[in-house]
Amino acid sequence: MSAAGSSNPEFVVARVRARRGQLYGDEEYRKLVRMTPAEIARFMEESSYETEINALGSRHGGVDLIEYALNANLAKQFEGILDWSEGALYDLIARYLRKFDAWNVKTVIRGVYTGASQEEIESDLIRAGEFDDRRIRRLLEADSIDAVVETLEDTIYGDPLREAYAEYEESDVLVPLENAVDRVFYERLLENLPGGEPIRQYEAFLKAEVDFRNATNALRLARSGAEIDPAEYFIEGGELFTRDTLARLARNVDELVEYIAESGYADQLGPALRELEEANSLIAFEHATDAALLAYGDRLGTVHPVSVTPVISYILAKEREVENIRAIARGKEAGLSADDIESELVIT
Amino acid sequence: MLEATNALGNAVLSTGGTLTDPSAAAALAVGLAALGAGYAERGIGSAAVGAMAEDDDLFVNGLILTVLPETIVILALVVVFIV
Repeated sequence: MSAAGSSNPEFVVARVRARRGQLYGDEEYRKLVRMTPAEIARFMEESSYETEINALGSRHGGVDLIEYALNANLAKQFEGILDWSEGALYDLIARYLRKFDAWNVKTVIRGVYTGASQEEIESDLIRAGEFDDRRIRRLLEADSIDAVVETLEDTIYGDPLREAYAEYEESDVLVPLENAVDRVFYERLLENLPGGEPIRQYEAFLKAEVDFRNATNALRLARSGAEIDPAEYFIEGGELFTRDTLARLARNVDELVEYIAESGYADQLGPALRELEEANSLIAFEHATDAALLAYGDRLGTVHPVSVTPVISYILAKEREVENIRAIARGKEAGLSADDIESELVIT
Repeated sequence: MLEATNALGNAVLSTGGTLTDPSAAAALAVGLAALGAGYAERGIGSAAVGAMAEDDDLFVNGLILTVLPETIVILALVVVFIV
């Protein structure tokens, strides 16, 4: 509930582990891939998504219903975790879940920029972060980007957004604003972590995530060949890259691949890197980083059973499930074959 | 708490008993064992309640696991009969 007092990892971990057992496994995915969107919705209604499907069923249908139900369920589960946890544990989980705040801020900014209606923006928000309903309502009511920035004045995003806003006014592109939000999130993620062995492991895990994010961004930039300064997209805090190495490597795909292949992540990412060289497919690499993170989280969760790590491992697995079901539903809608969809899934 | 400890000390002194007395030491042993059991049950209990909140069927398992550390106190009680 709050960051004061002692933490209660036993309670949170027990609940999270029970929830983890309810996530879909291989078997369920195999069934889902062979269903139509309507059948998927019915399947979800019979599992842990029952409340959301019933609540949204009258307003939406088909793939939209699945998508909104997934988002609503994700938000509910993560809000729940924040509600239960206390003390230092709350702080550690909130750090990670702030990524949904960042997502919401970016969605609102993009929505305002493209002139989307309030309802359209609202349906894309994931209310899983630290922002309360009042702040989200105020964000939604903002009718200009200036107003959005003002609403966030007293949050951690306030000052960086204010600075980025000046840049935005000059160039009229959203990149500086979005980068500012992302950067604040990642800075806060790794800042002032308390001591202790589980926390060290947690930190290593977060660093791996930053590294993977940097690697993916660099690969995308290198392959697109766009004239964008890679340093603009650099996220501080990782171990693998510095701003300079990233800027240098992002110009050449081969060198970048080699650099990653020689790093400490070679074992997890090796096969995906080979595929990247042969088939030129970035998707496989992105899936490999996701799978590697999931496996990493799982391992940490078993090494330190009574700490923050099982919770983070659950958060990752849940996000993965939501993305998998979304991929299945969207793939079905687009008429992809079961095999094609299966190759889009990340299942561990 | 602290005043109570003082009062206890005074009571012990005024009745002439000391903590080196075998039965006093046995009492202390049981007390410490109970303290340990309580600490162990704290973690197990909160985990058990968490598991029960997710699935009611776990009530029996949770209850059994929660009181399992009580065995420490029972074993410590043996000391009382030995001295």
